[in-house]
Parts: sequence; structure tokens; C-alpha cells
Amino acid sequence: MTLMRHEDLRLITGTGKFTADWNLQNQCYAVFVRSPHAHARVTGINCEAAAATAKVLLVLTAADVTAARMQSVPSGPEIKGIDGAIIKKGTMPVLAIDRVRFVGQPVAVVIAETAGAAQDASELVEVQYEPLPAVASVEDALQSDAPQLHPGVPGNESLRFESGDLEAVDKAFSQSERTATLRIDSQRLYGAPLEPKAITVAHDAGRGITVVHTPTQGVLGMKAGLSSISGIPVEEFEIVSEDVGGSFGLRGGASAEHALLVLAARQLQRPVKWVATRSELFAGEWHGRGLTLEGSIAIDHDDKIAAIKFHDTVDLGAYNCFFGGFIGTNNLSVTMGGAYQVPALYMQSRLVLTNTAPVSAYRGAGRPDIAFGIERLIDHAATTFKLDPVEFRRKNFVPQNAFPYTTANGTVYDCGDFHSVLDKALSQAGYDTFEQRRAAAKQDGKIRGIGIGYYVEKSGAGGAPKDQVSCEFSADGTLTLHAVTGPSGQGHETAFAQIMGDGLGIDPLQIIYRAGSADQSLVGNGTGGSRSLYGTGSAFKNLIDEIINRALPHAARVLNANAEDITFSDGQFMVRNGAGGISLFALSKRLSEPQQHPGSQEHPLNCTAETVTGANYPNGCHIAEVEIDPETGVTDIIAYNAVDDLGNVISPELVRGQVHGGVVQGAGQAFSEAIVYDDNGQLLTGSFMDYAMPRAGTLLNVETDTFAVPTELNELGSKGVGESGCSGSLPCISNAVMNAFASVGAGPLSMPYTPARVWKHLQKHQ
Amino acid sequence: MESVSFVVNGERVAVDVEPRSLLVDVLRDQLGLTGTHVGCDTSQCGCCTVQINGSAAKSCTMLAVQASGAVIKTIEGLAENETLHPVQEAFSQCHGLQCGFCTPGMIMATVELLEHSPIPTVEEIRQGLAGNLCRCTGYVNIEKAVQSAASNLRTMRDRDAAEASK
Repeated sequence: MTLMRHEDLRLITGTGKFTADWNLQNQCYAVFVRSPHAHARVTGINCEAAAATAKVLLVLTAADVTAARMQSVPSGPEIKGIDGAIIKKGTMPVLAIDRVRFVGQPVAVVIAETAGAAQDASELVEVQYEPLPAVASVEDALQSDAPQLHPGVPGNESLRFESGDLEAVDKAFSQSERTATLRIDSQRLYGAPLEPKAITVAHDAGRGITVVHTPTQGVLGMKAGLSSISGIPVEEFEIVSEDVGGSFGLRGGASAEHALLVLAARQLQRPVKWVATRSELFAGEWHGRGLTLEGSIAIDHDDKIAAIKFHDTVDLGAYNCFFGGFIGTNNLSVTMGGAYQVPALYMQSRLVLTNTAPVSAYRGAGRPDIAFGIERLIDHAATTFKLDPVEFRRKNFVPQNAFPYTTANGTVYDCGDFHSVLDKALSQAGYDTFEQRRAAAKQDGKIRGIGIGYYVEKSGAGGAPKDQVSCEFSADGTLTLHAVTGPSGQGHETAFAQIMGDGLGIDPLQIIYRAGSADQSLVGNGTGGSRSLYGTGSAFKNLIDEIINRALPHAARVLNANAEDITFSDGQFMVRNGAGGISLFALSKRLSEPQQHPGSQEHPLNCTAETVTGANYPNGCHIAEVEIDPETGVTDIIAYNAVDDLGNVISPELVRGQVHGGVVQGAGQAFSEAIVYDDNGQLLTGSFMDYAMPRAGTLLNVETDTFAVPTELNELGSKGVGESGCSGSLPCISNAVMNAFASVGAGPLSMPYTPARVWKHLQKHQ
Repeated sequence: MESVSFVVNGERVAVDVEPRSLLVDVLRDQLGLTGTHVGCDTSQCGCCTVQINGSAAKSCTMLAVQASGAVIKTIEGLAENETLHPVQEAFSQCHGLQCGFCTPGMIMATVELLEHSPIPTVEEIRQGLAGNLCRCTGYVNIEKAVQSAASNLRTMRDRDAAEASK
């Protein structure tokens, strides 16, 4: 029996290796002491009782971090705002120095022989806090008399950013008869990969290498972050990350906990292990979203969009952390025109610090939010001015003959066919016959709605200068592939083996993928921005050509023919006159024979390849049909249809899986998930008991399909898929719910559409 | 320390545990059965689901001492001599797993579900998996895997019955 993915056997038999599954000889255990206050002065820390407890080995506080000359947690790039102003940062110390600024901020760490002893002793660490007034929301933080979080960030405003042409937009608005404005909240979420954060650090004094076991989206980013905090050179770190239990943006870089375990392991000269509890992650791990977009649209007399503008507020949490600044600036603005030809665009964002957990990337990192913003605005305008939402979109789509299309704020969409994608989705969703279903539902006392979301997103451009890959042939014929990007569920091992197997005519089961091994010196991007397949995958496509080129002279020798008389197809080198042939697989085994003798050189087909490719523009049309029970406020997604243009698809099954997962993460935000703080900055949603994750049955019916317009921006012609599900589902689900509301005369409502909120909303309009 | 003994995956084991030790921690840390995972601390995620005396249970809600004398099966004991359990096969073939962290718990919960509902309705599947969270798959293919496993299990049972009656 063949399993679907290369990764599956170990994962279905419980023999995978997640970080907490590692146990190193002589390891000890860390437990963190975290702030219970949203904002307080730390006037003293007494660790004596904790340190004197049996089995306790070490207690570290800010003083130890300072003594070790550790720097702050990476705070992201120096983004430029209005008038060239540079982002003002509140950087996060590894351990709170004299102030805590959010509930869950690490204050001390206790290391003991057992996890239990460390836990017991952590409760004996006495921290003297002098509580300060806190600001738990952007609105509060921007008040003129608001408590100030950081001396270097006056008014709690880290940056005011703009994109586009304000003058052109203002002019268009002043000349348009029809304008509409809508405030859209993309509430704060917690990404919650199912594997809790875990770290085990061992310092190998003999080799001078610190080995860090941790789930990560990219070993190079992790090393760079650890080096930036600790001052230890990058080359002295090794990252071990075998199975990673989901990432969704949360495993992007080195955190305070990573740095502290490095410090402790080096001081103690023993391996130190930390496995977070889910509760401490709810409070202390990065959150996502936390955006408010106020969108306005101006429409011409012939129903063409004349201008769109957004005014955003972006909740950064208590500290600038490495991705937070990107989301509210670059990622919101690049595709702010959506799928439409809009002559004038303008966005202004205010990035604000609050006494809450720092906000960073969560699946899409601003992309789903702007797709949500623009598509809600389109539907809101259509509803307000009684335009047909399909025709309004069609009239304003970037037409196929306009590609490459440069948006009014300078983004170049290379290709697409929005009309065809929309048509396919409408047909798949039975859009034309919806009103009959609405009427039937009404007979049953239910309220039906249908909603379209047409997203265009810019996938990850990548931070590394290129994506490199390499391969090693073994005597038994197996081929081992190496690259930087590490999987966390996407199926890299399967997809890359498939690309190479198809290209070389080798059974993919003979091909092994290894990400980020310690001995490799490849450059490349980690997993993020939906780019592993088209970035690293394209490098593998180039590797196929390189291997064939290298193999050709060997094939000629074996086949006793001239190289120019040999062709390669379907895995076979054939002499043109039909005189003979050899498969690449057989050739590679034959070429490894000399290796069995001592002193032999490397396998002659081992080689490297690379590609340089930036972002591309996946897009798609998602259509949701929902039904609300007005008696209970419960909303069911009756049907969900997605048609995505992801360029060339390598593995349809993996793509479907990515889309399903993304769609349901969007549905989670739409219907149930929300991180909630009270006015004093206390976290009210601190566990899966209060934070409502989607469960089985979220989608009653889902159909996903693709419409490929291959991109020429990479060798595979593929576009990013990982984040598309969220970008499609947030707008279409919301538009469907609003469409249902509108049918009974109710206006818009913010997410999450929980039964209680929906019921209350409908009551108000009865 | 308390001494407890139980049967795990067919083998009798005796271990000294702290009275406060959770069963899941003993399985993972003392017996090395790291296929059973911990995804939360409030018994919501179901990653730690194992079989205790034939019924699925969240091993994070139970002290190890409470399991004294029990017969326990973990994900590592589900396949019989290299032959995967039909539920394991179905999860792979229907692409019902991505990162795989929730998978052992999902599989153990599904085994239980299909024992009670050999021909499960969609509603029974959703109820049967209500105590298990997955962040990757959106549950779509997990539901397919449960249906597929149910069908394969029925075929196997019918075949066994037919052979027994020969």
C-alpha cells in the first residue's frame, strides 16, 4: 500500500520527531516567570528562595542577561513613513528590565533538575511590581493623556505610513457623486499551531557549537536572530528542526525564550529543555491580525471605481517585533487595489503600541486583511448603490489584456485572468440559482446569504538573495535533496520528490528531502509567504537540468556513442539511432561504484542549482453560501466554492489541503476566534476553553478547483498557495453573512459572527 | 514516588512516578512513547488521546497512578506487526494530516468513534471528533478519512466473517 505523502508513515505511527520528543542526556528543565500585569514598574526581584530550592540549578533575571551583553529581541527593519520618518521602536528585552509591558512577558527563568522542581521554584521567585495604568487598545493608546509605553515612542505611535497619491484620491472623491465608507475590523487572533513552542539547547564545548532544537520556519533566520541577540557568531549555532507541528507565521524567528535557553545551556554546560504550556503561549507568544481598516470608495457615473483609500490602525502590541511592522505597511498596501483597475489609491496606516502581546505574522500577515477590506468595501458599495456585485466586479476587473498591470500605487501584477476565474467560480457555486435556495430557506425560517471574495495577493518576495538546492546520489540509487526551507505540514518532502522524480524519471519514493541540515552551506528562504514551492521548487527544476547535463557525457561513455547523439526523456538516455539506452537511475547507480573504494571522489552527479525569484500574484474567487438560524444566531456555511489561480499546480492533493486549511482558518476568524483583553490589559481568552478554535464540521461542503494562468516569474510557473485560503475566505464569508443580513434589513456587523453577536444584531433590526 | 504498573501496547511495565505525574507525561518521558502529544493544558485539543481499557481517553486528564492496572494502547501500538491499522492508512490516503501533530490523537479518537458507529453519519463524525483540534487541514480530509476507514473496516469485517463461516 502506498501512502500519500513521504512524511506520513512516521506521523501516523507516532514515530515523528517534534521538538518536545527530544530528550538529551543529562538535560535539565526551564520554567519561565511571567508578568501578571499589563503594565508595571519592576522594583525588585528576589530569587533567593527559588535558588535555594532543592534541584534548582540556576535562576536568571534581567541582570544576568545584561551581564551576558545580550541585545533585545529583533525588532524588524527600519521602515520609512510619511516625510521619510523612520519607525520608532520599543524593543523587547530578553527579560523585563525595570518595566513589564504585557501580561505574559518573561521576567525570570528557573532551571532545575526536573520540570516539576523548576515549576515549584518558579512560584518562589518574588517580583515586586508597582502597577501602572495600561492601554489595552489602539483607541486608548492614541488618547492625548494615554500612559506612555516607551520613552522613544511619543504618543505610542511607532510609525505613520503612507502609500499612493493622496492628492489624486482627494480629487477623485471630490468629483464623484457616489462615495461610501466602511470600517472593517480584523480582530486580534492567536495562530495556535498545535505543537506548543518547545526548545532544547545543548552546548557542545568540544566543537564550540550551540545546538538548538526548536520548531522553525527557517534555520537561517533562526540562526541570524540568535546571533543578533546573543552576539555569538552565526557559525556557532546549529538548528535541529525535524517535524514541526504547524507554523502559520509564528515560528519565524528567535524569541526571548530561545536566547535564554542558549544562555542557560552555556552557563550550566548542560542541555536545557523547555516545553511551553498552551496557557503561557496564549499570553506570551506573538499574536496576529489586530488591524482596523477604514475604507472609502468613490464611483463614477458609469459604475467605474474612481478611487479607493484606506486609513488603518495597526496594533503592534507592547513591542516592535520582527515582522510586526511589515504587516500594517507593505503587506496591507501592495495589493490595496485588489483585482480592480483603480486610477487613484491611497493608504495611511498608524502603527500603535499597546499593553498587549506583540503582534507578528499569522497566515497571510496582512494579505487576508486587505483582501477582506477591499472586498467588503466593493460589496458594501454595491449594496449601498444597488449595484449587482458580480457586474460591478466585472466592470472594474483588471482586464486580461492589461497585464502586466501596474496599480496606482506601483505594484506590478504580472498575469491573471480574473474574468475566467470568476466565471468558473460562479458556475461551480450555482450562483445563478441562489435566489431559489434563499426562498426555500426562508420557508424554513432561515436566512440565506451568498458572498463573493476575489482576492489578489502578493506572495513572499523572500529575504534571502536566492534559493539554492543540492543533491547527493547514493550507491543504492536513492537521491537525497537538500535545501533551506523546512516544512511544517506543507508536504515539502513529497512535492520536491515529485518534481525531481518527474524530471529525472526516478521513483519519487527513492528521493529523500532534508531541510536545513547542519552540514549544508546553502543559501535560501525559509518557509513563509507561500513561497517554498515556487522558490525552492524552481531551484529543483533547475537542478534537474544540471543533473542531466552532468550525466550526459557519462551516458555517452556507457552507451558508446557521441554525446550529441543522445537524447533524454522519461528518465532514459537514448541513442538517436535506437542502438541503446540507459536510465538515469541505472546510470547513477553505476557511477557510484567507484565510491565503494577508499579514496574515491564524490558521486559525479552530485551538484547544486539555484534560482532567484521574487513575489508573484496568486488570486482567486471564493464564494460562500451561509444560512443563519435567526432563533439561535447560529450560522452554517452551507456551501463553499473556491477557484484559485495558483499558476501551475504540482500536486493537486497538497494544494487542496492548503486551501482547505486556509479557508477554515479564515472561517475561524469569521465565526469564533478572538483574542480579548479587558480594559486593563488582562487577557480574557487564555486557553482553548475561551478561545474558540474551528472544529470538525466548520465547512459542511467545500469544492476547490484551480484555473491556471502560469506566471513567467519562476521556472515552475507556479504561484503561492499557502495563504490564499485565508485571503479568499475572510471576504467571501463576511460578504455572505452581510448579504444574509441585508436581506432582512440588517446592516453590517464586525467579526466574529458568533451566535450571540448575530442573534443580538438581528434582534436590533426586527 | 509511587510505583505503578500497567500494560502498554501489550507489554507489562512498572514505573516509579510522582503522585502528581500525568499519565501522558509518564508515557512520553518515562516510557519514551512520544507519539502521544500534548497540545494544551485544558484537555481541549485531544492530541494526547490514547486507549485505556478499550476506550479513548485524554491521557492529560488522568494521573498516572489512576491508570494503575489498566491496559493502555497508544498510537505506537495501533499497527499490528508492520501492518497499519485501517484508520492510519485512511488518514494518509485521504490527506487527512499535514503537520501531523494532532494526528495520533485524531487517529485514536477515530478508532473509538468507529467502534461505536461503524457506519458513521456526518454528524456522528463531527461529534466523535469534537474533542480533537486540528489547525492545518480544516477537517475536510479528516472527515473523508473517517468515512474511508469506516468503509475499509466494514469490508475487512465482512471478509473475516465470510472466512469464518467457510
